[in-house]
Amino acid sequence: MTQHRRSSRLKAAAFAIPTIAALALTGCSASAGGSDSSGGSKEFSLSFATSNTIESPFQVLAEKYMEANPDVKITFNPQPNDSYDQTLRTQLQAGNASDIVVTSPGSGQGRSILPLAEAGFLEPLDDTAKELLPEGSAGTFGPDGRVFGQATAITVSALVTNEGAVKEAGEFPADFEALEEQCKTLESSGKSLFALAGAAPPNTGLTAMSLAASRVYAQDPKWNDKRAAKEVTFAGSEGWKSALEAVNTLKDAGCFQKGAAGAGFDAITKGLASGTALAGFIPATSWKQLQSATAGSEFGVRALPAEEGSGKDFLYASANYAFSINAASKNKEAAKAFLAWAAEPEQTKAFAEIDGALPVSGLDSYDFEGGAYKNVGDLIKDGKYGPLPNIQWPNSAVYDALATGVQGIITGQKTPDQVLQAMDAAWG
Amino acid sequence: MTATMQPQMEAAKAPRRGRRAPGAGVTTRSRGRGLEFGHWWWALPGIALVFAIHYVATGVGGFFAFTNWTGIGAFKVTGWVNFEAIFKDPTKVGALSNTLFLAFGSVLLGNIAGLVIALGLNRVIKTRYVLRTLFFMPVVLSPLATAYIWKYIFDFDGPLNAFLTAIGAGDQAKPWLADPQWAIWTVLVVLVWSSTGFAMVIFMAGLAGVPVEVEEAAAIDGANLWQRFRNVTLPAIRPAVAIATTLGIVQGLRVFDPIMALTGGGPAGATETLATQVYKQAFALGNFGGGAALALVLAAIILFFAVIQQRLTRSNPED
Repeated sequence: MTQHRRSSRLKAAAFAIPTIAALALTGCSASAGGSDSSGGSKEFSLSFATSNTIESPFQVLAEKYMEANPDVKITFNPQPNDSYDQTLRTQLQAGNASDIVVTSPGSGQGRSILPLAEAGFLEPLDDTAKELLPEGSAGTFGPDGRVFGQATAITVSALVTNEGAVKEAGEFPADFEALEEQCKTLESSGKSLFALAGAAPPNTGLTAMSLAASRVYAQDPKWNDKRAAKEVTFAGSEGWKSALEAVNTLKDAGCFQKGAAGAGFDAITKGLASGTALAGFIPATSWKQLQSATAGSEFGVRALPAEEGSGKDFLYASANYAFSINAASKNKEAAKAFLAWAAEPEQTKAFAEIDGALPVSGLDSYDFEGGAYKNVGDLIKDGKYGPLPNIQWPNSAVYDALATGVQGIITGQKTPDQVLQAMDAAWG
Repeated sequence: MTATMQPQMEAAKAPRRGRRAPGAGVTTRSRGRGLEFGHWWWALPGIALVFAIHYVATGVGGFFAFTNWTGIGAFKVTGWVNFEAIFKDPTKVGALSNTLFLAFGSVLLGNIAGLVIALGLNRVIKTRYVLRTLFFMPVVLSPLATAYIWKYIFDFDGPLNAFLTAIGAGDQAKPWLADPQWAIWTVLVVLVWSSTGFAMVIFMAGLAGVPVEVEEAAAIDGANLWQRFRNVTLPAIRPAVAIATTLGIVQGLRVFDPIMALTGGGPAGATETLATQVYKQAFALGNFGGGAALALVLAAIILFFAVIQQRLTRSNPED
């Protein structure tokens, strides 16, 4: 009996000691991590999405801030890109989101500013953020004239090209008809003009939107406003129909690599890095990551050629990411100080260089020559660009209908009309 | 079976007899207390946790099925609108049909394969222990990790197409997971591969209870292999069949991670299931109300088929 009691005590101790230790450690870490410092703390946390092993430009900028301000401590909370939206929403609702969160303008994504601001999760920002608003995009950074996000950089959404492979193939096609011809030539030599991730909705959606640039938004930059006012529909738009029919044209001309319908993003990376594909429909900032990963290759940004003689070359360039302050933050002053510092021209330029993007301020005097953006410099200077369309769409279901629909067009499951009708249905 | 049950029953009755015997009351009472170890209320914390975590959470989720909540901010109660939308949307109806196809396909093929392997590895083969482990391995491995390996195998530049090209069947090479006709079958292959081991283990447990003497008697009476299986083995392992098929259907109806990893529901919804649609609606497209409604529909379907399955395969109709 005594032995039994002793062994029971030993068992109890064996369970209790680690439990108490764990509780104590949790308690310790909680108190250390707790940053309740309404009394002017210079400590704050920052959440951002990551999609590769390359250090996030948001983190690099924040580290620069800590270097310049040794008394500031920033806790980084990187999240995988595919689960970032849901994590951000859950944390905001639970009241434990980071003090500064990276958001996107508009309402087309889970991290979009408008629904988060309307739900009261974001702190209104001051005039510094207002001054950084890209022209014509104020409505996507907050309702009722208020601003809830500070734009970080101008991201071009066009084609990223392997310039070495382009030179090897001759010249980059000047119009859409020449593009079809080049596709056929490249296909016969075992290469492709485009590397497509047909199984990755973000890529198929961006491909279709790029095709719509010259066919829809070059002719009518306010098309989204008209759609919101129910003056037009996707299914009734000749431009949108032409854009989705062009997906079939590109497929039939052999513009995509073999097996494109089932390919992931790795097919784009592999194709562009090896030069077996000349271009990909990916955010322009990827040129920098590709160049750093592929020694000796040169990557650039180009616009998708418009139809012959239309003179409607057009691309998307907009602030796709923003810094927002969590309305429930206890370190708002420290967060605002960081945003004020990040808004300085020196920092916006530095961030653009780190990110491989264009600076959110001073674009008029930006020197495009010699850089990755030299082929789109004229279009930007001439104002032939607009915001990425889905930023202005009311929900993410519209983009999903487009992205999955394009895959359906490539596999022959859907017609352009069916996809456009699905987009109208998703718009609501 | 009866012979082994009898002594246990007698042993269980022994204290009752002892209680009737004069002078044996004290001993009996202490034994009785010893058997009454534990009280019903000891289970209360567990019941409370299960109730709070499982049923309350499910109930709250079920409530949102009748709202237009986007996952954030305010919401309105919209009644049956979300359910109407499910049955009007061809994508959701397609997801329902894919769900049933994958669930019943994987149960049927997985159980047949599992039974064949279990019969083969039951007694005869010397290396049966190694083979059992190998066949059971897919059950132990992470479905997500193995799905990515299968994705690589079925990739357009993957080993399967390389093999087809090597044997001169290069014209059959295709992006298996992005082909509208083949994608669902490719997913089914992966599901069957991962469920076979589980069915095999259940059938092996069932086969262990089949008396060798009865099989030998049937063989002596002139029953051939099929007759022995049909009339002796199969009736004896009927409870194992019930368990394997019920668990298989429940698992098949809610399958999620292999499909997300293999196709993400594509191409263009060709492999979409109710579970992947629940995730997309609730968490990717900001339609939490619609996702919750789909989850309720999925739960009702699982319950329906689980009950039907249990009734069809129970060994005693009076159970």
